[in-house]
Amino acid sequence: MSKEGRIGGALAGKILRVDLATGRTWTESSEPYAARTLGGRGTNSLILINEIEPGTKWSDAGNLLCFGAGSLVGTAAPGACRTDISTINVFSGGKGSANVGGSWGAELKYAGFDHIIIRGKAEKPVYLFITDGRAEIRDASWLWGKTTYETENLLRQELDDERIEIAAIGPAGENRVRGSAVLIDTAKAAGGSGVGCVMGDKKLKAIVVRGHGKIEVFDPLGFMEAVAKTHRQCKANRAKVQSMRQSGAARFEDLDFEGWETCMVIRNGQDDHWEREKRARLMNPEAGVPSMRRKIRACFSCPTGCMPFMEKAQGKYREMKGEGFWINALWSVARFDISDPETAVAFWLLANELGLDTDYVAAGLAWVFECYERGFIDQKDTDGLKLDWGNGEALIRLMRKLAYREGIGNLLADGMVEAAKKIGQGSEYYLAHVKGQPSIEPFRIPKGWGLGVATSPVAGRHLRGAIRGPVHSGPGGSDYDITHYSNQAKAVVWQSKTKELEDNLGICNYVGTWSGAHFLTLANYAELIRTAMGLPVTEEDLMDRYAVIGRNLEKAFNTLHTDLSREDDLPPQRFRQEEIKTGPYEGFKADEEQYNAMLDEFYELWEWDKKTGMQTREGLEKIGLKDVADRLLAKKKY
Amino acid sequence: MDRIARNASLCYGCKICQLVCSFHHTGSFWPERSSIQVFRNPQTGMVRWNLDKTCDQCGCEEQPLCVKYCSYEALRKVADENPKESENE
Repeated sequence: MSKEGRIGGALAGKILRVDLATGRTWTESSEPYAARTLGGRGTNSLILINEIEPGTKWSDAGNLLCFGAGSLVGTAAPGACRTDISTINVFSGGKGSANVGGSWGAELKYAGFDHIIIRGKAEKPVYLFITDGRAEIRDASWLWGKTTYETENLLRQELDDERIEIAAIGPAGENRVRGSAVLIDTAKAAGGSGVGCVMGDKKLKAIVVRGHGKIEVFDPLGFMEAVAKTHRQCKANRAKVQSMRQSGAARFEDLDFEGWETCMVIRNGQDDHWEREKRARLMNPEAGVPSMRRKIRACFSCPTGCMPFMEKAQGKYREMKGEGFWINALWSVARFDISDPETAVAFWLLANELGLDTDYVAAGLAWVFECYERGFIDQKDTDGLKLDWGNGEALIRLMRKLAYREGIGNLLADGMVEAAKKIGQGSEYYLAHVKGQPSIEPFRIPKGWGLGVATSPVAGRHLRGAIRGPVHSGPGGSDYDITHYSNQAKAVVWQSKTKELEDNLGICNYVGTWSGAHFLTLANYAELIRTAMGLPVTEEDLMDRYAVIGRNLEKAFNTLHTDLSREDDLPPQRFRQEEIKTGPYEGFKADEEQYNAMLDEFYELWEWDKKTGMQTREGLEKIGLKDVADRLLAKKKY
Repeated sequence: MDRIARNASLCYGCKICQLVCSFHHTGSFWPERSSIQVFRNPQTGMVRWNLDKTCDQCGCEEQPLCVKYCSYEALRKVADENPKESENE
């Protein structure tokens, strides 16, 4: 084994620094950061907290946009394809982070870099071209205004190299629409936190990477043995593999699938139960969404393979095709009471083309539909659009207005919380948001899911500890009822910690510990790290140290940069006040007292102050974050 | 002479074959030095797969690494006289 703390492989070794204002680029070693955090998101978080002054806004030149491929990305570790994009969260003002797959991160590492850290703003639109240890800032005025599909095609024509990988924004990001995504390969979206909005604010249209280099691991033969073991585990779970390879949304073709009853939110949260005939229309195998699923594709080095490729013939909308129809897409249209499968597929593919985050669109615009229903706005405000529940064509037209800031789209582009202030009339109560970011999540039935979303340090989203029982997500082998409040916090913390590790290593949690796949275990992670990186880690080191460091860096960033408090770790108001009206869970709500009891346990498990949810000096010093504790003390933040 | 054949209808385009092939040749993960090149077009769903003459079917291994690590069972070692399977789509 290498000397503790020294990394002996798997990293490309360098961080690329770019100042778009001056045009200067330079590099530094990524190893000291990764030795402390394990790399990936952890390193991005460390750089953000070290280098961004409290008081800096997302749109200030001093905000950093950090791309980080996970430590194992580029190796044959299964599912090691993920890239973290971190920056100031445009919704909360705290930590922003979005995570994305594809082949871009691996190509970045073959080009010699683990991270790209971008500061400043370009005067005119630019794109970055990165290859083999070098970076160029190039004019992108000819790409500005183009969709992600057009951008990808134009760059491929211009650069004439089939192996380039592209991360780009669409018109939404250029127009600084808050809920904008960064798209990899036109299809895999880094959606949350407004990372595409920050990229557009910096006038950075795309980052093109092309690497001819290699990634070496510490113990090549030992590493391949560890990889072979994980492949055997995956193959042994054939039934689960087959299920994942139909895409997660395929489970909903079974109209009796329990997810229909436990995690749907209908008409912007007016109910959590959807009629059977609407489910049947949307997911009918012959005429519904599944009939447009042509094949499934996999991300780089992934044995799961879960990305549906959709093709939609011309009908209500033009012919469209591309990767992606996730459970989020199904949840999204249900939020508008839309059961038309053509709208559902068009919604998803259009969001990819425009560079919009679908959760922002769905949660935000469903709220606008409800504002219309309640008479807070009318057809004069919507440029004539009738925003009635179920009106798919109105949704598609409203999405375009949002991306291009046309009419009411201009109001909505600056964030739904801001829009609610302008619309007034008590409309904010109906807006489901977590720490300012619109949320499509269910809170009233699956309690561990709700707790994971509400406590996420990056303003909601369900990848930071949301659980839905041992079968679909959550620690395997545990036994608890997802609708109960008891026994949830411990499982949420476990899932939060494994996600920290997965984002540092760059391993997709659809291969790892979430989504019910469970192909990989913590023992696998430790073995892969030991053989690839040469760090002599145990499972306990991972869960009790590295995972805790990752979460605490983000928590501390929020504490230093915002006034977020315990109240902000609770579900949106509406779900605490209003009960589910119909279906088997009629009468359920997110009980505030019970959620608070879960929060008490959750904070204790993280060793934070039970009353305030704030970090403690002892807890931070135990994991080697004395410098962070000092900074919090200086700001009187504990 | 045997060769590696790909069944395009089974391939998901994950590129693990390219990666482990480069490991066989170099002991590192170096896609440029692989006998296999995989190209993806996300807008059409197309996966293009090329095998060049440097392929030695991993003579020293129990089975070629690309076949061993293909989770989708899209690759097989076949005798050359077999009819050529659909390798691209």
